[in-house]
Amino acid sequence: MQIYLPIAEMSVNLFFLVGIGAAVGFLSGLFGVGGGFLLTPLLIFSGVPTSVAVASVTGQVVAASTSGALSHYRRGGIDMHLAMYLVLSGIIGAFGGVATFDLLRDAGQLDLVIAVGFLVLLGFIGVLMLIESTRALLKRRSGIVVRERLPNQHNWIHGLPMRVRFKKSKLYISVLPVLIIGLFIGFVGSLLGIGGGFIMVPALVYLLRVPGNVVIGTSLLQVVAMMAATTILHAVQSQSVDIMLAFSLMVGGVAGAQFGASAGKQLRGDQLRGLLALLVLAVAIRFGLTLVLAPADAFSMVVSGTGAGS
Amino acid sequence: MTWRRWLGALALLGGLATPALGDRLLSTMSNDEIEITSSFDGEKMTFFGSIAPDAGAEQKFVNGPFQVIVVVLGPTADRTARQMTHNFGIWLNTDQVTFRKFPSYFHVLASDRLADITDITTLTTQFILPESHTLVPNNAGWWKTAVFGRQLVRLMTEQGLFGVNESGVNFLSDNTYSARLTLPSNAPPGPYIALTYVFKDGQIIARKSEGFAVRKIGFERFLALASVQQPLLYGVVCVILALFTGWLGGVLFKR
Repeated sequence: MQIYLPIAEMSVNLFFLVGIGAAVGFLSGLFGVGGGFLLTPLLIFSGVPTSVAVASVTGQVVAASTSGALSHYRRGGIDMHLAMYLVLSGIIGAFGGVATFDLLRDAGQLDLVIAVGFLVLLGFIGVLMLIESTRALLKRRSGIVVRERLPNQHNWIHGLPMRVRFKKSKLYISVLPVLIIGLFIGFVGSLLGIGGGFIMVPALVYLLRVPGNVVIGTSLLQVVAMMAATTILHAVQSQSVDIMLAFSLMVGGVAGAQFGASAGKQLRGDQLRGLLALLVLAVAIRFGLTLVLAPADAFSMVVSGTGAGS
Repeated sequence: MTWRRWLGALALLGGLATPALGDRLLSTMSNDEIEITSSFDGEKMTFFGSIAPDAGAEQKFVNGPFQVIVVVLGPTADRTARQMTHNFGIWLNTDQVTFRKFPSYFHVLASDRLADITDITTLTTQFILPESHTLVPNNAGWWKTAVFGRQLVRLMTEQGLFGVNESGVNFLSDNTYSARLTLPSNAPPGPYIALTYVFKDGQIIARKSEGFAVRKIGFERFLALASVQQPLLYGVVCVILALFTGWLGGVLFKR
């Protein structure tokens, strides 16, 4: 069944959209990530214009993260104070990201920057996660009890000025690293069409030492709020949010996420992180190949000015 | 619609013809509006016409053989062709040429091989050849314009937006023809023009232009307009929809 996407101005199979939404939703539920980093590339590789793919996936990420954020909120797993700082700086970062997005699109370098961005970001995070999870798996196998890092173990980041007390996270740290993390994720997330949960969670855990019981909830809330702001920014500035595309993906994604979440309970945390690392690396390698390998067609075209009405 | 009705319509919709050589073209088409709905997957349309003596002419019949070319021209937009080159180990866009007011859709239907119908000069000056649209002056210089123009036409052809069908016009009798065109699902919305040329011995003896529109209608039109006219509201609605879908998913599946 074909469905016409009014903003992308193309006709796509509805089952294909709901299907990839569900498949990515399953993985996002399984690993507890938004899934934007998989969905945006999938759409780009299946012919949706890059700008429409990025802008519409932001809407889908909001939906994918909402139910998770709500359930964490009910369990009290969100540090609202910390989330507020992250969201505010994230929205400022998103303004920069969307503006950069427009500049790059006009200059013809959007696809390049997105490919390089995914390669560097996913490659880096993927390798880190793979090392960490392999180490945990090996230690478990050799019978050593892995000692969880304690939240009150300090590093140099905690010595910075402008300290604020975050009661729920039991932290008394400088706001500077919090704001920088928020800004960075806002910028990168709006530029690449990803929620950034897979950057946010390690950053909160390893840099800020946020305790495990509030990490996921706080990160999810931040993703919802920041991606909601980004969707509106994209709608206003680049006008490339395709609501039909986003909604088709949401429906599949929300359903898939529920099954993914229950499947995730069958696996241990370190196994999950190892699998996620492999997935992230696979996407990074795929983007790396598009940069290095000779393209099937050296020429491409875009509509660079209006003239077509609706 | 039946043939009889079409022939009746032909007589009514004769319209203006060039007075040259005493022959005129009566033509019509199957739709003057193509509506893009949520299930839009392309649309077929048919052009009909008949060559008849001019009103008041002494000769009561026309002498063939005629050749007919129907050119369907879509809305124009500025289009940029870009070239990737290999630099420092990676492939990136390094060169580009922008073609102003370039057709977003261009299909040529002809009753014979274009080269057999008329000469290349006529084909180019009348903008019948797809490449002729790239030959307009451009500040990129003629060589780059020619190279990128060829590539642009090739890309448009690969997407089904440009095309030449040299057996697209069929003569039903010596002076009556029909031409079929399938508009693809990615046909850009906007005003279209169908230009019909009648050739005899390589000369244009009659021509006619008719307009039709490809429009988004109903919900698709509403969405496309809203995204441009009320972008803030459109964005807010997207977010509310996303929050609601996410919330509903959580409730339905009781995570």
